[in-house]
Amino acid sequence: MPTLKIDNQDITVEKGTTVIQAAEKLGFVIPRYCYHPGLSIAGNCRMCLVEVEKMPKLQISCHIQCADGMVVNTETERVKKTRQHVLEFLLVNHPLDCPVCDQSGECWLQDYYMEHGLYESRLDEPKVKKQKAVPIGPTVMLDSERCILCSRCVRFCDEITKTNEFGIFNRGDHSEIGLYPGKELNNKYSGNVVDICPVGALTDIDFRFKCRVWYLRKVDSVCNGCSRGCNITLEVNTERPQHGHGERVMRIKPRYQPEINQWWICDEGRYGYKPIDHGRILEPARRSSGPPEIISWEDAITETVSGFQRFSKRSKEIAILLSPQLSNESLYLAKKLFSEKLGLDQIYLLSPSLEGSQDDFLIQADKNPNRKGAEILGFSEKESRIQELMDLVSSGKLKGLYLFGQDLVSIFTHRNMSEALRKLEFLVFQGTNSNLTSKMCHLILPSASYAETEGTFTNFEGKVQKFSQALLPIGDSRADVEIICQLARKLDFDWPYFNTEDVASEMQKKVPAFQNILASAPAFQEPFEEKVSK
Amino acid sequence: MPNEILAPELKAKADKIVANYEERRAALLPVLHLIQDSYGFISEKAELEVAEYIGIPPVDIKEVITFYTLYHSKPCAKYEFNVCRTLSCSLAGQEKIIEFLENKLGIRVGEKSADGKFGLNEVECLGACEMAPMMQFEKEYVGNLTERKIDEILSKAA
Amino acid sequence: MEKLISQFFDIPDAHLLPVYLEHGGYEAAKFMFQNLKPQDVELEVKKSSLRGLGGAGFGSGMKWSFVPRNTGKPIYLTVNADEGEPGTFKDRFVITHAPHLLLEGILICAYAVGIHKVYIYIRGEYEIQFERLNQAIQEAIEKNYLGKNILASGFDLEVIVHKGAGAYICGEETALLESLEGKKGFPRLKPPFPAAVGLFGCPTVIHNVETLSYLPFILKRSGEWFAKLGSPNNGGLRLFSVSGHVANPGIYERPLGIPLKQLIEDAGGVRSGRRLKAVVPGGLSASVLTASEIDVKMDFDSLRAIGSMGGSAGVIIMDDTACMVKALYVTMRFFGHESCGQCSPCREGTGWVSRILKRMVDGHGRPSDIDNLLDIGSFMGGTTICALADGAQMPLLSYLKKFRSEFEYHIKEKKCDLEIQMTEVR
Repeated sequence: MPTLKIDNQDITVEKGTTVIQAAEKLGFVIPRYCYHPGLSIAGNCRMCLVEVEKMPKLQISCHIQCADGMVVNTETERVKKTRQHVLEFLLVNHPLDCPVCDQSGECWLQDYYMEHGLYESRLDEPKVKKQKAVPIGPTVMLDSERCILCSRCVRFCDEITKTNEFGIFNRGDHSEIGLYPGKELNNKYSGNVVDICPVGALTDIDFRFKCRVWYLRKVDSVCNGCSRGCNITLEVNTERPQHGHGERVMRIKPRYQPEINQWWICDEGRYGYKPIDHGRILEPARRSSGPPEIISWEDAITETVSGFQRFSKRSKEIAILLSPQLSNESLYLAKKLFSEKLGLDQIYLLSPSLEGSQDDFLIQADKNPNRKGAEILGFSEKESRIQELMDLVSSGKLKGLYLFGQDLVSIFTHRNMSEALRKLEFLVFQGTNSNLTSKMCHLILPSASYAETEGTFTNFEGKVQKFSQALLPIGDSRADVEIICQLARKLDFDWPYFNTEDVASEMQKKVPAFQNILASAPAFQEPFEEKVSK
Repeated sequence: MPNEILAPELKAKADKIVANYEERRAALLPVLHLIQDSYGFISEKAELEVAEYIGIPPVDIKEVITFYTLYHSKPCAKYEFNVCRTLSCSLAGQEKIIEFLENKLGIRVGEKSADGKFGLNEVECLGACEMAPMMQFEKEYVGNLTERKIDEILSKAA
Repeated sequence: MEKLISQFFDIPDAHLLPVYLEHGGYEAAKFMFQNLKPQDVELEVKKSSLRGLGGAGFGSGMKWSFVPRNTGKPIYLTVNADEGEPGTFKDRFVITHAPHLLLEGILICAYAVGIHKVYIYIRGEYEIQFERLNQAIQEAIEKNYLGKNILASGFDLEVIVHKGAGAYICGEETALLESLEGKKGFPRLKPPFPAAVGLFGCPTVIHNVETLSYLPFILKRSGEWFAKLGSPNNGGLRLFSVSGHVANPGIYERPLGIPLKQLIEDAGGVRSGRRLKAVVPGGLSASVLTASEIDVKMDFDSLRAIGSMGGSAGVIIMDDTACMVKALYVTMRFFGHESCGQCSPCREGTGWVSRILKRMVDGHGRPSDIDNLLDIGSFMGGTTICALADGAQMPLLSYLKKFRSEFEYHIKEKKCDLEIQMTEVR
């Protein structure tokens, strides 16, 4: 375990630790472009050069290993001047597209220049011209002039996805990043190359020209696309709605979490934010015959409660379909209300989406974030039980159904669900997005999406993770927790919960599996990551 | 995919080359030389076949071909004049040689004549500074170039 | 005057085995197999002070002692026949006229270090030489100087010739290994060094053609004898490639430590009626010397002491018809063209500097150019993965410092102050 000094601070590290890693343990970031903790060392940007006593040349801190007695200085005049010059070299052929470049505001050339550059440009020669604005696949746009040839994208596609799309052609200052002619960047993790590109060479087509990054508010959350539970930041624009084209969520970025997704997220998760702003149910509604008519929450709650009261002696004729999309807190309260207080025992778990494909990296077949949470609370999805239930619906033996977002018409296409559902006496839909089934329900209660509330999900490994509220609920929707509380109060139950926090503290005491919430990762993994606001 | 470029006879030669190296990929440069010597250039079809033969992604082949100056993706001229332009040859007047050839051949450096017969290139030091100014022509080094020498070569080039 | 390697340049058909044998060929190898242990060979080479003649000047015997012998992995020798340093053409001569001498040297090195497979990486443009080498290897195998159980010694050695494809950077030892392994010639990060982790991850020794070609002479006479031929710590003779504005350009085998002045005289001196102006002493990467610096001794240590380098001993003579601005432009254009492009100071620096110098050559220089070039140049060296940028830095800084007034004149008057015609540079 070598002990060394970096900028006059002592530190002891594991053998094999590089100086750049040791500096991070001490809390400071040595500037870099090509170094990424999740990829192999390239050592080509030369930005992380530092002074090491007894070594005549500056050393790249991403490669040099800590040795006992080593003395490193990262802020000497020589190092600072070298950084200035490295930046100057990187800008020699850089097109300075800032006014039209999406990376502006989160560009490492800009950021390091402000920190380390700050001098008059003396470059006055023609620049090397390369390809610009080339879509290299459905998700990523390439601008080779902006590229600083750090090779992060090449290494990512070689080492992480192992799909080898990128290459660097030619040599010298005509070196150019690109794909094999005719090939596309189309693997399931393609969007990650945009994250790791320090400049605007690789940009997201989905995000192109949407919103300047300094208008984005960033909130810690957890992806709800599958049971992996990749950590994300929801990046929303509420300041300049005129730029949003009706959308509040501008993009999703992965957040470093060593225990689950490291630095990465799959494309489905990354681009899966559209349902937060599209196709939402905005108001509570009632449908008797004809199209649904908008009603107040007061009325909606009252009528839902009367519906339950009608079944008080006929509990076998009503069923509740919980969803593995619901948070631990929502499920906990749902169990309290439906099982404990109302005494119903026909409570099922039904996923609103079909199982998808799985891979040996992040993507899980189960496209729900909280199946494990539901199972811990005693709810599991059994094919046979669900079929039995649907038989009861079809046969008319079941008269009431309370759904949590499931589109039964689309899920059970082999059955004539529309007809069967129409025959029900009491059909309630509590969910975020409208679908074929929601339009048919007697009562529609709009719930807030995961982005508009807070709570916890339990991933398939049993890891509990907190997601935070990024937006106010759209329209007049309300959090599931809130809706359940309102129902409980209207039913006159003894109900001491008012918000998610109340639920969470009791839940953690009563359910040991929900006690350990996985900590968010340390302050930074990449330079310039803003500390997110909760 | 049936091999058009790496036809059986050529493939047998390639297999012999591969046997010289502990790792298959190390045979790449010699195999590319083999293809270029046989076909005059390395076509896209050749790139794909070699990629499969060696067992590496095609993008790696493209990287190698664009990195090294001796591999050509397009057919060369029948007669290529590769004139050295580095220091000793520059001191010996290589620019005048270039001027002379450009006028004689009717093309500029980097171009090929319309009939595909002649090509003119400037290259870096060929390791023959004692005979500056010099060029490489059909594998041979031709040095102490004069206008007369070049005329002689041109007259022999059919 | 001793003629060791260069004796073969005058003997007709010296590349053929029978002729080589007639002139004492493979006698050193025979002697070695009969009388010497590998450690003995290493000791002799250490005593000889033989330095790496490809350019780095690293002690050859010392290099061998860095190779770990007990890793369980095979040890490789790669012979650097990439000869790309402008001004250098000695290895071409050796391979053309004395390929068997090289093979004998390879045999000696392989025996000393415990190597059984050798790759000769030869630059792709050396077509004739590639064929000569393969011919020589065939001959040697047939007569049991290579292959299995060489000269009944029980020692096996396989030699494979591997052609490069046109990249100066592949003369850098780790770029050479990358190229041998079938990739672009991107120099590797060091450590680890090739002696420990080289070709295919195995310990590897890399030697220049000429360095190996002196081994037979060292074994035949002795390391001590060889060392005395040269200067202290700079043992033996070397092949100086002399070109440029001299009467008799060519190869001159002379002791390390010969005064540059003497070497120029041996090569016939500058052309009649002209005055010496500048000399590049060790290949294009070396700092240029002025006419007042030609008393320097041509060995690694002396040249280093005056701020230049022995390098590959590519000596380019320039007389007073040479424009220094043009010469520097041609030099930097070379490095810009050959930069592999991996790291920013070299990739961008060499290109940028070339563009500024072209502007100057074309008569559009600006007063701020000289100081800008000096500043840019000072950060190109010592900051990169390999020494190409250092090799670009040394000429850049030395030309500008030593011939500053000529650059200033060029900028001010927008032309050369020389008799030669200024033609538009392409």
